[in-house]
Amino acid sequence: MSQESIYLDYAAATPLDSTVLEAMILYFSDVFYNPSAPYEGGRLARDALESARSEVAQVLGAKSTNVIFTAGATESIQIALVGLLKSGGYAVIGATEHAAVRGCVRDFPSRIALADNRGYITPESVRKVIQDDTVVVSIALADSEFGTVQPIADIAHMINLVRHDRREKGNKTPLYLHSDGSQATGSLELKTSRLGVDLLSLNASKCYGPKQVGVLWVRNGIVLEPLVSGGGQERGLRSGTENVAGAVGCAKAISMAQTMRYDENRRLQELRTYLLQQLEQIDGLVVDGHPKKHLPGHLHVHISGLDSERVIYRLDIDGVYIATGAACAANKGKRNPALEAVGMTPAEADGSLRISLGRSTTKQQLEIAARAIKRAIDLERGL
Amino acid sequence: MKRVFVGMSGGVDSSVTAALLVEQGFDVTGVYMKNWTQDLPGMRCPWADDLADAKRVAVQLGISLKVYDFQDQYRQKVVDYMLAEYQAGHTPNPDIMCNQEVKFKLFLDTALADGADMIATGHYARLENCDWCVEVGENRKKLLKAADEQKDQTYFLYRVTGEALGKTVFPLGEYTKSHVRKLAEERGLATAQKKDSQGICFVGSVGIHEFLQEFVETTPGNIVDKHTGKTLGRHDGAIYYTLGQRHGLDLGGGMPYYVVDKDMARNEVFVSRDLNDRSMWCSYLELEQIHWINQPAKEGESLRVRLRHRGALHPAIYSNGNLEMQEAERAVAVGQSAVLYLGDEVLGGGIVSGA
Repeated sequence: MSQESIYLDYAAATPLDSTVLEAMILYFSDVFYNPSAPYEGGRLARDALESARSEVAQVLGAKSTNVIFTAGATESIQIALVGLLKSGGYAVIGATEHAAVRGCVRDFPSRIALADNRGYITPESVRKVIQDDTVVVSIALADSEFGTVQPIADIAHMINLVRHDRREKGNKTPLYLHSDGSQATGSLELKTSRLGVDLLSLNASKCYGPKQVGVLWVRNGIVLEPLVSGGGQERGLRSGTENVAGAVGCAKAISMAQTMRYDENRRLQELRTYLLQQLEQIDGLVVDGHPKKHLPGHLHVHISGLDSERVIYRLDIDGVYIATGAACAANKGKRNPALEAVGMTPAEADGSLRISLGRSTTKQQLEIAARAIKRAIDLERGL
Repeated sequence: MKRVFVGMSGGVDSSVTAALLVEQGFDVTGVYMKNWTQDLPGMRCPWADDLADAKRVAVQLGISLKVYDFQDQYRQKVVDYMLAEYQAGHTPNPDIMCNQEVKFKLFLDTALADGADMIATGHYARLENCDWCVEVGENRKKLLKAADEQKDQTYFLYRVTGEALGKTVFPLGEYTKSHVRKLAEERGLATAQKKDSQGICFVGSVGIHEFLQEFVETTPGNIVDKHTGKTLGRHDGAIYYTLGQRHGLDLGGGMPYYVVDKDMARNEVFVSRDLNDRSMWCSYLELEQIHWINQPAKEGESLRVRLRHRGALHPAIYSNGNLEMQEAERAVAVGQSAVLYLGDEVLGGGIVSGA
């Protein structure tokens, strides 16, 4: 990223925090040993891995034996969902779920819990599509397009009632709630007991940690069928020599973000409000997502009929980086289905912009960015 | 102000074409032609990236970019034609067909109906007014070789009509390729550093052999020494071989063998070690599907013929659909195009049907 550029796509990737990098560096070459090795070096690596696991467990308020490290949230989700569905049964997923979730259930019978026009998925909406043979429900803590925060605890409560109901009726099919916490890892509550989920997938790369490292938390007693067999590392769910540096970085990034989140969320929320004030002057601009329940630094807007891909290229020339879920090259020519799921027309969807703020975002940057966005939209409209 | 629709492929040539026309004061609209491509699983879809590049440049130039979907017609007119020709054992040229059927027919007609006065492409070729056309009140143009002999693309353009050229501009005809790159860099165009595309666009990175494998059914056959009649090896389909070819025969070491003939009916490929094998050389060409851009060549006129893109210009006499070349030429395959030049002007040409 060049000095002058203004990065506003933190929902896509975050820079590695320097403290996190510092914590990781030791484990690339000095303590490179295989954590399974029987000598001192192996023990050092093992200790680092296990203390990273404890660090994550502490954030989750869970037992560290239930925390496994993976190669990112996509893999966590895959291990969770496919691991449950392989032995049969239906899945329910939210209408705005990420491709990582949609891709998992493609080969399994599944139903979709509808979202309202704010991208909000109510427990009732989920309840409607749960059948007697549904084994897993997967709803993100917050979606990646609109940043709408879902009522996961309420959904968990509803699922408990369904379980109770099943027991009464003698239906022995288990029912689990999985949540993709990728977008929320840095900013939302992650205590599993408060969330009420049974499985939780997290990502280090969205909270200033390394890419290709993630976490899957699995509640006690849930048996998953492993997708990869091998040395049986990570409780047999993710064989392969552990990525100790990655795990250390992941744990550090998650715990740091969780420590910072009260202050940082407030700061991001203020910045978002400021940005919104600037952008609201644009004629025809509609703010998407939930007006209250949204990620603090996440702003999604659309202007019907605008070619958002062109706006993004124009901003690129000005050094302002933002995103879109529209049908464009970045999305392989396909729209994010989440846009249609909230009832957007193709013209609205292709005129949508996602602006996500992060730790390095300043008010001054937003002032410049807002001006550039307004100018880009004006120029596009002049054509 | 004249409205020009520029075919923008996302490459550097068409990007500069659009930029120059904007600077010259035309009312420019970019058009990305979505032609047929084969989507390969797991590969990053190439057309999406090209479209994005075209769009980036359009944004830089402040022009709009339309997408014309020509996939069905392209598949029919260009891809199916190429497959049929290969199947018949010929050596076709899909680029020539693309210009004839898609760029200077379908694109031109669509653009004109869409409000354009003219079209432009990034071809390296020049156009010149045609005196007699003006006299008879026709808006036709003559096709001339590009200033950059190394990049000249007129071989691919000989099946276009003078009428279509009358509504066309080739802004790059006077430039060299390196100059065009420089123009792109000076303007900071997003495509300035982009690599030139190689080979047939819809075949992409897989290569023609693998592409044909997927679409044309072939059976293995023998590779036979033309002089001894001895079977030297096996091939996986005679259609994969073209006259003069020496690679991919897999006949072991020693002096190289060349393909000198094919028998499609018996699925046999004949080879020889003799570079001077008579069957590889010919000085008399029969042409079919002859096309003239404006007017036919005169009987017995001394012309120059080009048998492949960027190939040499050989002196030849044209007479009633046939060409008598001053010197024999090696490896001229049926299906190849023979393009006729009079000075710098491309008169037209035909497809070799016998040599």
